[in-house]
Amino acid sequence: MRALRKLILGETWSLPAGVLVVLLAGLALRETAHGWWVDAGGFILLVLALVVLSAALAPAHKRR
Amino acid sequence: MTAFLLTLVGAALAVGLELLEALAIVLAVGSTRRWRDALLGAAGAVVLLALLVVVVGPLLLARLPLAPLRVVVGVALLLFGLEWLRKGVLRLAGRRSPSDSFKEYLEEREAMEGVPLPEAGRPDWPARVIAGKGVLLEGVEVVLIVAALGAGPKGLAPALAGAGVAVVLTLAIGLVLHRPLARLPESHLKYAVGIVLSSFGVFFLGEGLDVKWPLSDGALLYVAAALLIVSQLQVRTLAREPVVT
Repeated sequence: MRALRKLILGETWSLPAGVLVVLLAGLALRETAHGWWVDAGGFILLVLALVVLSAALAPAHKRR
Repeated sequence: MTAFLLTLVGAALAVGLELLEALAIVLAVGSTRRWRDALLGAAGAVVLLALLVVVVGPLLLARLPLAPLRVVVGVALLLFGLEWLRKGVLRLAGRRSPSDSFKEYLEEREAMEGVPLPEAGRPDWPARVIAGKGVLLEGVEVVLIVAALGAGPKGLAPALAGAGVAVVLTLAIGLVLHRPLARLPESHLKYAVGIVLSSFGVFFLGEGLDVKWPLSDGALLYVAAALLIVSQLQVRTLAREPVVT
């Protein structure tokens, strides 16, 4: 079971949690931000994904 | 064309690397125990994987409408892609040991040498289970990645073509035994797969959430470029920071 969890969710909790936040933010913005979401939503998702990656790498920066 | 080529290359790289890891385990078990048991374990895992594809694949594709399916696929690819990218950044920055199937092969051999062989003619269950488990775990990832990439705008064709190329190449490597395993730049290849899978993840998630990407499929290129720039900045920053344990 541990191997399967690692396979699907990865080795950290920060990445799956971050991806969940990206999904929820995307769903919320699509419902609330009428008009501009269609054109700018992709860039918002991209920035959020980059933030998630940086957050997942943060522990490595602290380890010095 | 951009989406087709990126899907093909992404599937070929991801599947190839996963198969290489499975191959390392089967080679290690086969060369230290008996080839028959290693291959039987691997074959059992392949049968289970085929069942998974036959049962789950059509159910998923038939029942889910396209937009939610793209959201699910986007999230799955983001999970896989960002994890590969995170590990890739750490490896390239020297903060994690390089990905090395040859090393895994040697470690697996060492572990198997400690387990006594059963009498001739009796099944070697430890060998079968270890080979089967290795192939099954790597295979599940292959199935998930190919299915996710196959749900893209160009359908299953480029993902299956990429997977086919990977299977042929990995079998060729297996036939000339383990020597080339040591020469592959696996850390760099896995980092590249992380960029490709994450790009598709962001792209599909956007499409599933009604986003209209400027340049259509061409968006994959600037999404990949952004991921490349940010991850390379992370590699350089981490490589410069002193490690204190």
